[in-house]
Amino acid sequence: MRIMFLGTSSNSGKTTVAAMMCRYAAIQGVSAAPFKASNLSSSWYITESGAPIGIGQAFQAVASGVIPEADMNPILLRPEKGGVARYLKGRLRDMSDETAVSEALASFDSLSGRYGLVVCEGSGSPVELNLSGSDIANMRMVRERSIPTIIVGDIERGGVFAAIYGTWKLIPEEDREYLQGFVINRFRGDVSVLYPGIEELESMTGMRCFGVIPYMDLRVPEEDTSESKVSCQEGLRSLEDLLLACKDSVDLNGMLRISGA
Amino acid sequence: MRPIWSKIYEEIEGELAGTRGFCPYHPSHFRNQDCTFCYCPFYPCNDQDLGEVTKSRKIGKIWNCTYCNFIHRRDVAAYVHGRLRESQISGPEDPALRELFEETKTKFHRKGKAVMVLGATSDAGKSVIVTAICRILNDRGYSVTPFKSQNMSLNSRVTHEGHEISMIQDLQARAAGVSRPSFRINPILMKPKGDGMSQVILEGVPAGDYTSAGYYSDFVPGPGTNVLRKSIDFLQSRYDFVVMEGAGSPAEINIYDSDIANMRAAEAADADCILVVNVEWGGSYAYAVGTLDLLHPKDRERVKAIMLNNLKGEVSGMRAAADDIERITGIPVMGIIPHLDFDLPKEDSESFRGVKTLGRGRTVVVVPKFPRISNFTDLDPLLHEDVTVRFVSSTDEMEGAAAVVLPGTKSTISDLEWLKATGIADRIVSLKGKVPILGICGGYQMMGRTLSDPFGTEGGPSESEGLGLFDMETEWPESGKKTELFEGTYIPTGDRITGYEIHSGVSKSYEAPMFKTQRYTEGSLRADEMLFGTYVHGLFDKPCFRRHFLSEAGCALAEEAVDHDEHIEKNIDKLAHGVMNAMDMEIFNRVFSEESP
Repeated sequence: MRIMFLGTSSNSGKTTVAAMMCRYAAIQGVSAAPFKASNLSSSWYITESGAPIGIGQAFQAVASGVIPEADMNPILLRPEKGGVARYLKGRLRDMSDETAVSEALASFDSLSGRYGLVVCEGSGSPVELNLSGSDIANMRMVRERSIPTIIVGDIERGGVFAAIYGTWKLIPEEDREYLQGFVINRFRGDVSVLYPGIEELESMTGMRCFGVIPYMDLRVPEEDTSESKVSCQEGLRSLEDLLLACKDSVDLNGMLRISGA
Repeated sequence: MRPIWSKIYEEIEGELAGTRGFCPYHPSHFRNQDCTFCYCPFYPCNDQDLGEVTKSRKIGKIWNCTYCNFIHRRDVAAYVHGRLRESQISGPEDPALRELFEETKTKFHRKGKAVMVLGATSDAGKSVIVTAICRILNDRGYSVTPFKSQNMSLNSRVTHEGHEISMIQDLQARAAGVSRPSFRINPILMKPKGDGMSQVILEGVPAGDYTSAGYYSDFVPGPGTNVLRKSIDFLQSRYDFVVMEGAGSPAEINIYDSDIANMRAAEAADADCILVVNVEWGGSYAYAVGTLDLLHPKDRERVKAIMLNNLKGEVSGMRAAADDIERITGIPVMGIIPHLDFDLPKEDSESFRGVKTLGRGRTVVVVPKFPRISNFTDLDPLLHEDVTVRFVSSTDEMEGAAAVVLPGTKSTISDLEWLKATGIADRIVSLKGKVPILGICGGYQMMGRTLSDPFGTEGGPSESEGLGLFDMETEWPESGKKTELFEGTYIPTGDRITGYEIHSGVSKSYEAPMFKTQRYTEGSLRADEMLFGTYVHGLFDKPCFRRHFLSEAGCALAEEAVDHDEHIEKNIDKLAHGVMNAMDMEIFNRVFSEESP
């Protein structure tokens, strides 16, 4: 059982939504493992084997009550002088894109064999043309393992309908069957004003809206700060608050269902 | 014969003047105007496309030409000058003069071209791009005006007529070289009050509070739609270019038909559009394509160019993506704008939300971050000195304060309660006499003994005890709001101060005043205790008071006494140059060609 969260931009809230999914699955008695094939982050968590993974995946693992491990984020990208260095489970590896993909798939398969659900998170936007290589974490994974996918859009800056529609539109037609739905994140105000737009978007794309997540001032571990000030345990408290706030507005059970669980 | 005709005869006798930047009255209408006719020979033309009848303070109704630029267009001035010289028009009563006016109007007057800058998101950089375009066009000698039908902002300014408009449209007007902007450049200003309600300022004056739903169901269909049409007609008949700014994204399909800030405004002005996409967060390709696809087909046709904004990497890395966007959308990318380094006041309260400090100087000026803080651009000029402005929400952040500034607020009494609850209020009182403390507007009101809002002007009816730093009482009357430009002198030094007042509370102070004008004194001052209070916003713009206040805080003053207005002017130029250098000017010239679509 597997599910993928893709974002319409970086910082759209994928990590948090995936963490919600992990937590919810755990509550339902499903053992869930987070997974992000490749990650460009400056905050690391050192797993028991000594291999670092992105802080977001460590947080998601804590949310589902499992031990963070290297397979949850096998490839790390680290900006270094003269480009980006690739690390495979903590070791610097000069590898081709195809090798990276097969390593990522091996990690995914390993998690998949040991856990009831693999909750995958994409990287940036899946339809970014000028950044090659990021696809390993996005549509390439989805295609290789036929992963039901949900798009996470951020409404805080506005333009969320356009962002979700544009993302859907730019994903090649043959891949759209994996796109099961979308979630609108960081909404302030009365959600009923969104309904006409949501219905229109649903009928235009055939995707289903799995919910609207209210804006909350979350204290969760952040990927993009070099110093992660919030611990995973601390982040868990914020996550519990968010889950409570989403009780009626987000269909986590529906997401669990499309994952095949 | 009216006496002004003796001047007009001189103008006719004289040469074509062009722009007279040295004149103390320049620019009476717009920067780069033609000053051949300082006095318009056609006054009063009584033509509604150019002027309007207004009430005069002294003599009843008069024909008002404040917003008419017609005689200051180069082509018009040259034509009228030549024709008056060669003809035998005897004076103002000569019917041939009227004929000449009609003829000139037919020949030269046309609706200005409207171009609207849309954003794929808020924070896309629309307002900055509008500012840059206004300056670029005005540098070319055009009369230009900015326009944004509806703006949600906590920072506002006052026009010379005493109307309230958003800070950013006022700034854009400055970039356009408009010396006295009208409220019509921003006819609807929404000021969030913090409880899901916004105060709506309509044509410069308060027009009630609305919820978001109420705004769309009640306000938009009536007054909103009316004022949109009226404002656009007014501006288009007076300016060569109307550079319009959208709000948020134009593709919010849940409110598409009632969104008077975007495509409905573009439609009313028959505007061509430019879509700005911020590439900083990624996903820009999806945002661009999605925005265009969700526009109604007739609206999409208006979009003539795309701008990719705020690029932090190499432009060459973005070129391929730009080509792809052109290929898929069929719309040219007019510019890939790098992340530009300039210093201008920022529009968005969203981006302000996370701000904790401004500047990196050694002198720490502590500013309570009121939940309903407003007009906080007052603080920007402090950064010309060795200052860090620190916004605080708790007392432990106040460590090391060398001065305190209590800023403006949308709701004084509730923010005062917040100030007390956080303990910051007590801490400020304990700093009395040790560091300079200044209150501006709402912050000033808090410094008094009592505050009373019996009619609930700023929220529910309430009374509160102030900080007691001044012997002063503030009361909110049932109605009425003071919105006025301010010009006076700072009493201790005699230096000139300019600024503006926006407040509905009225204070009675028993303290010595800070400022004096020709008609009255303003503010409260206890020099020995370093306590300052005033309603005047913008008082740090001119260096004199700013430097006096900061020297009390022990701040090492910068060598150069920077005038904030000049600083802004320089930065507008810097921005305009940066944008122009990154733009394909051929596409720009096509979009901004004078021919109406």
